[in-house]
Amino acid sequence: MSADESPTAILRLTLNGRARSATVAQHRTLLDALRFDFGLTGTKECCLVGECGACTVLLDGRGVDSCLVLAFEADGADVVTVEGLAGDEGLDPLQQAFLDHGAAQCGFCIPGQLVAARALLEVNPAPTRADVEEGLAGNLCRCAGYEQIVEAVLDAATRAAGRGTHRSPESLADPAATPDATTAPQ
Amino acid sequence: MRPFAFLQPQSVREVVDHLAADPDARILAGGTDLIIGLRDGSVRASSVVDVKRVGELDGNIRAIDGGLAFGALTSMTDIAADERVRTAWTALAEGAAVVGSVQIRNRATLAGNACNASPAADTTPALLIFEAVVVVMGPDGERRIPIDELFVRSRTTTLRRGEVVLRIEIPAPSGRVGSTHARRTRRRGHDLASVTIACSVHESGETRLAFGSVGPRPILVRDDTGMLAAAETDDAERLPILDRLFAEAAPSPRSMRASPEYRQAMLRVLGLRAIAVARERVAGAAA
Amino acid sequence: MTTATTAPPDGLVGASPNRSGGIERVTGRQAYVADMPLEGALHVRLVTVPVARARILSIDAAAAFQLPGVALVMTAADLPDPMPRFGPQFRDRPVLAIGETKFHGDPVAAVAAETLDLAEAAAALVKVDYEQLPAVVTLEDALAPDAPLVQDPALRSGDPLAATNVLREHRYGWGDVDAARLGADVIVEGTYDFPMVTQFAIECHGFMAAPDGDGIAIWSSIQHPYWLQRVIASLLELPLAKVRVYAPDPGGAFGGKQHAKYEPLLAFMARRADRPMRLVLSLEETFQAVRRGAWRVHVRSGFQADGRLAFREVDADCLIGAYADIADRTVVKGSYTSAGPYVIPAVRINARSVLSHTVPSTAFRGFGNPQQIWATESNLDEAARVLSIDPVELRLRNLASRGQEFIPGDTPADGIWAESLQRAAERIGWTSPPSAGRGRGIAVGLKSGPTTGLSYATVRLLVDGSVVVAAGTSDMGQGARTIFAQIAAHELGAPLGWVSVVMGDTAVVPYDQQTSASRSSVLMGNAILAACREIQSKVRAMAARLEDVPEARITVDAGRVRLAAEDGGDARELPIADIVARGLGRLGGEVIGLGESRKEADPDHPLGGTSAFYEFNCTAVELAVDEATGDITILRHVIVSDVGRALHGAQVRGQDEGAAIMGLGHTLMEHYLFDDEGRIRNLGAIDYKIPTTLDLPRRIESEVVENGDGPGPYGAKGMSEGALLCVAPAVAAALRDATGVTIRDLPLSPERVWRALQEREPGVEAGAR
Repeated sequence: MSADESPTAILRLTLNGRARSATVAQHRTLLDALRFDFGLTGTKECCLVGECGACTVLLDGRGVDSCLVLAFEADGADVVTVEGLAGDEGLDPLQQAFLDHGAAQCGFCIPGQLVAARALLEVNPAPTRADVEEGLAGNLCRCAGYEQIVEAVLDAATRAAGRGTHRSPESLADPAATPDATTAPQ
Repeated sequence: MRPFAFLQPQSVREVVDHLAADPDARILAGGTDLIIGLRDGSVRASSVVDVKRVGELDGNIRAIDGGLAFGALTSMTDIAADERVRTAWTALAEGAAVVGSVQIRNRATLAGNACNASPAADTTPALLIFEAVVVVMGPDGERRIPIDELFVRSRTTTLRRGEVVLRIEIPAPSGRVGSTHARRTRRRGHDLASVTIACSVHESGETRLAFGSVGPRPILVRDDTGMLAAAETDDAERLPILDRLFAEAAPSPRSMRASPEYRQAMLRVLGLRAIAVARERVAGAAA
Repeated sequence: MTTATTAPPDGLVGASPNRSGGIERVTGRQAYVADMPLEGALHVRLVTVPVARARILSIDAAAAFQLPGVALVMTAADLPDPMPRFGPQFRDRPVLAIGETKFHGDPVAAVAAETLDLAEAAAALVKVDYEQLPAVVTLEDALAPDAPLVQDPALRSGDPLAATNVLREHRYGWGDVDAARLGADVIVEGTYDFPMVTQFAIECHGFMAAPDGDGIAIWSSIQHPYWLQRVIASLLELPLAKVRVYAPDPGGAFGGKQHAKYEPLLAFMARRADRPMRLVLSLEETFQAVRRGAWRVHVRSGFQADGRLAFREVDADCLIGAYADIADRTVVKGSYTSAGPYVIPAVRINARSVLSHTVPSTAFRGFGNPQQIWATESNLDEAARVLSIDPVELRLRNLASRGQEFIPGDTPADGIWAESLQRAAERIGWTSPPSAGRGRGIAVGLKSGPTTGLSYATVRLLVDGSVVVAAGTSDMGQGARTIFAQIAAHELGAPLGWVSVVMGDTAVVPYDQQTSASRSSVLMGNAILAACREIQSKVRAMAARLEDVPEARITVDAGRVRLAAEDGGDARELPIADIVARGLGRLGGEVIGLGESRKEADPDHPLGGTSAFYEFNCTAVELAVDEATGDITILRHVIVSDVGRALHGAQVRGQDEGAAIMGLGHTLMEHYLFDDEGRIRNLGAIDYKIPTTLDLPRRIESEVVENGDGPGPYGAKGMSEGALLCVAPAVAAALRDATGVTIRDLPLSPERVWRALQEREPGVEAGAR
């Protein structure tokens, strides 16, 4: 099959809460369909091998690398991108916390970070720092604003639970005292 | 990416028929390996058959005769989170928990990981120690393939053209078992392993070890003497036993992830550590 | 350069308001180049050959043209003869490879088609006949007497080194090293290797070009839009005013987006096809577009018995790529400060940039200094052991004090550097021993700031008191936009949210030399400050007229107009906005200020100018080593940076901690691997690993030293590179402390540490700091 005869079909999905459809080439990835066919460019492209997480979206509630999902796998599914995080009342608590903690530097990885964080909080509304580190390990940030990103996610979880602002890093326990401080990598 | 036709058959029969009709068709389950291959050109497909809408296939983990059956679509996330797997088949839960990132684990399937036959696959050593059986449907009907007979070499299995995995079964353990999974990577964040190992210790004293990334396919070995698991054995005594068991390890000198010497050395280190953990767990299971 | 004001910051400057552009970044609305629609644009893909160096015999595009929708296949034959070349230091880079490819990924052709799929398919159909040629990819290969030459000597006419692969050799120094060597009590030497690593901005480079009237428009995720404008104007023989460069905020740059890469190719293609063109590199192509220079550094340091440095000799060979880009300048700036922040009476530095058939190396956060500091600070730590002097004490005995001219002829030390060192040592608990199996290491990093600079800014105070700042800096994550808004808001009394900062369009924003060397807060900051000062002076005149008070009795500062009473009684204060609204009158309008900030060149200086400021950082780490596997776990990572004044606390922290973690990447895991054909084996994210959230230190602690002694607004210095400079030597020192093992190659990967532990001589012990 050559490039000029790519079969297309109509893709129908719920995108950020709205029913949407578009005619899409069958070999499109969900990432390309979002960016090119639905015009939602908040979802970013970087590695295209599922390593960087810049293209993370929620597919039926779960965080996935949209570069490794074909568009039609999402046919009929519920897809949420960074553009769908904010609600009618304004920014999602995660978005607000990212702003307040200065978690966004260049910002390119941030849509993926936010969606991955949202996925995490959906299943684990009160994560530990280790949970956040694991939950966001699939999202590379080369500005390496990881400390502020992790703090923002913890803070957002605390805010959502109505427990005020998350404690400052200074109040964290001495890591040398944590029992798993020398755990080897897998 | 080169264009292809995308199909979402509703039945296993349709899948099998299509695979028989189109030799260049590829099955898509989680897609986390296939789509990389399609994009980089290492995999060519005239059609991609998404099996996620097949009525007979699902992502459920069912209890069967004291064992478990993993539907062909069972994701790594669900395996890592399943209490039964975590308790009784811990090595599999731990292996599934380190496949890629959360995003990858949400898509990648156990069946896909096995069929892809990567020597570095994280769940295949566990499937080997638990004597999993891959149940497939093909043009000639259903077939049960013991997992040890599935792998040939990297990216090559004994699956025949037109066969599709229905489920993977793990039999009931014959007694108390403690198990664990260990691996070596270049960083703590997700990575392809340079050594993978799964280890189980049975209350009878039998130790099973399955190791990957150190040869063209993962290998299962057993110590039936009880020496490896015995409390009286010290690590210095275990090492020569391990060296005999690991004799078939043949890491590629061409790999960029680690040298053969390092892999061989880490196989011993991880072997000892895994045995210690599995022993502790089988003892804990008794308590 | 503008003199700094020492006015104490109010609640705005020095506070941490939310980032300007932050809302866009958390909602997905921030548009990077790849997100920008360009009506009618053709998609471009590059055509390469799968070897490093090849003679191009023929290129046959017939099959590619068979595909409908393929509009253009550009080869060297379609470009002017002689081939147009460009480069920031040497005009050595062809728009497309001509005759010979010089590195794996050097494009020989480019295809433009209606869709990306078509362009990819067509690129695969371009048939390139080539003959593989021997390539040099290591220093040994490149410096061998019979090595094939990377650059055609014809390009280097008159250059005595033209018959070698040495692009430039640089010699610096002072004092009598030979005499000092005889007088030294202890001499410590070693050779250190720093491998090739890549910037790995998460935004892969994106480029677009479009015919624009009788000129051309370029979009690029570029740090230096005005430099790019000059390159394009020169190549296309257009006046500057006919080249409009749009420079949307880069999605990370780290030096890798300073200079032109494929913008010239796209410009020629756009003109040839009379269509807009767009090219977004894949991550793999990005690896083949930018990297850091690999250095091998031999350091020999001599000491008096009391630890005072007597001399230092540094021989650095830097393996740069096939085209010079800005690499030789990184060799110059990285090697020139090889004495570090220390007072050393005799220094001899010899540095060479060596061409190879590899990806052209370019600027990367630290600009040559991390490589040199890896060597010199490791050497100092090894010397501390030989001298039996505590590494902190050894450094304190040698550090330059503020005002001391530690590099003859250059800017004197501009900070109390001992304070950073002492605070880091104190925070990590240096004087108490680490628990068993752990080690601590400490190191300092010094980097010379910009040596020349020119920034203009316009600030417009509008009739309602809101402000528009136009500044040619690229905000690539460092947060320049926020800093600029803070300065203008503070000076003109506007709420922060009433300040707009316009960047990234050479047609509307005045000239800025470049965004590099952590310069923008200082140089552009001062330009904005100067523009605000001009507005303040106009407001003063306005106030004099409106209030009928002599100008001598009026001061305008920090957004307030202060009218001193004639008799020395209570002064009246009015907001600037009140005066402006009344002063502009019924027609409204605005008050415009133009600011200019210069750092003049000094042609006699080895760097072409003295340092505008120094970045100084001290890093201390505590780690644990799994001796069976070689794994390093960083338990604590302490950063203290001398920033002069933190203009935005949260952003300063983000820069410092981000630089530290990026530094852990090259320290622990990053490097290019090559095959026998000179191809990068670990091309892409699967086998080139950078730190994730799971690779962070267990605890990272950052502090700043703020003595207001920088040349920027309110005493600020640039600071975005400091915390990366000395990560590697600090970690290696801690590894030595924990295990007794010394490793002089990076990265300190588990396997490398394991090997070193296997080879550890009996009797070598940990500790002994």
